[in-house]
Amino acid sequence: MSFVRTLAIAKRIFLQIRHDRRSVALIIGAPIMVMTLVGLSLSEQEDILDQVAPALIATFAFFFSFLLTGVGFLRERAYGTLERLLTTPVGRGDIVAGYMIGFLIFAWLQSMLIMFYTIFVLQIDYEGSLWQVFVLLLVLTVGSVSLGIFVSTFARNEFQVVQFIPLILTPQVFLSGVIVRVEQLPGYLRVASDVLPLTYAVRGMQGIMILGQNLSDIIPELAALVAFALFMMALALLTVRKI
Amino acid sequence: MTNFVTGSLVSPAIDIRRLGFSFGAKSILSDLSIRIEPGQVHGFLGPNGAGKTTLFRILTGFLSPDVGTVELFGERLSPKLATRIGYMPQLSALYQEISVQQNVEFFASMYGLSDSVARREAVESVLSLVNLWNERSQPILQLSGGMRQRASLAIAMVHNPSLLLLDEPTVGLDPELRATFWDHFREMADSGVTLVLSSHTMDDASHCDRLSFLQEGRLVATGTPSDLMASVGKAGATLEDAFLHFVRSR
Repeated sequence: MSFVRTLAIAKRIFLQIRHDRRSVALIIGAPIMVMTLVGLSLSEQEDILDQVAPALIATFAFFFSFLLTGVGFLRERAYGTLERLLTTPVGRGDIVAGYMIGFLIFAWLQSMLIMFYTIFVLQIDYEGSLWQVFVLLLVLTVGSVSLGIFVSTFARNEFQVVQFIPLILTPQVFLSGVIVRVEQLPGYLRVASDVLPLTYAVRGMQGIMILGQNLSDIIPELAALVAFALFMMALALLTVRKI
Repeated sequence: MTNFVTGSLVSPAIDIRRLGFSFGAKSILSDLSIRIEPGQVHGFLGPNGAGKTTLFRILTGFLSPDVGTVELFGERLSPKLATRIGYMPQLSALYQEISVQQNVEFFASMYGLSDSVARREAVESVLSLVNLWNERSQPILQLSGGMRQRASLAIAMVHNPSLLLLDEPTVGLDPELRATFWDHFREMADSGVTLVLSSHTMDDASHCDRLSFLQEGRLVATGTPSDLMASVGKAGATLEDAFLHFVRSR
């Protein structure tokens, strides 16, 4: 791997998104609008908002970073720039690492925006320390960025990649404890819940923000998220050459 | 297949032997053999779907052939040869939101120009060559089609490759710009760079040192434009006549 090439790819992605002012406005505006809607809809039930906020922060962080990367990487494939890049001496590892860093900057920015907005504007009550929430969201975002790269392999245009959103997000929202507690699901659905990354992110977020746990108390959840991130990175590496 | 052998003894820039490639059950290239000598401008001519782009994708190492061998400068095709190849794809394949200079600098980094001073010099030199230095700060989105083609050509040349693969480089260009492109190509060939390009226009063909006619993935003829025209056996035959002659006599 070449550190110089990896950083050049990350810098180029950063410049591309930064120059696209409408996209920057949407990256910032969309999560705020969604969380505002959540806050307004639960404004009379603050206790419920306190309970669901950690799960929603994780869900929207996962969703927005997946969407950003999936569409961003698909454009590389559709516009021929990825093919051109692959004819240079750059390695697959450089490409995945470069895209990872480039998209992660914005994906993590979105995650932080969601978190700070929920805590300081919607003023939810929370326990635990925020830096631990940062770490958990960072690991989750690495996984969803890799998932976005991988999924873009199976789409030929933006319309198709958007169709993956309900396919990937809906099961997680229903089975990961965001709406219904995992313990209340039928047995066979609990098995499905066990393999979904958002289950561990929601459990970890609830552990820190509701129960006041530390990262050392949620090691199984963190380990599951790290395993998911590594698995998705490996799949992204294997499929990055596919046009 | 008609083959007018050049008789050169130096190691060829490209040596393709019995190349075959399929997408699933569909054969794209079959039994294709050709040698291209260094410093030549070699054109592959054929209709859409003849296999030209697939051949270029194999030469860049992006696709691997199913059968046959490909050697560049006497070496089997491998990733380490990528620094010696410049590729201008059919799509302009540029990052739309960033400037011309940022695009070219990015690809210069990918080609291994890691020293920032050397990289900037190379970028300035190549953008001046394609007459885009004054437009260097403009985002690709704001450029005309011809300027995008020039930016794409600049990327292919920024690392001083020994072999330039140009997939339909003049498509969509006005006659004046096409003439400018051909001036660049001829200068590069004169400096020892091998240029291989694809086209389906006879105007491009007339500028090439040697031509290969492709049809349905097969090489139907190769030689100099004058040899190919002479083989029609008719006074005043054009390259178009030659192309039709070989395609119809298959």
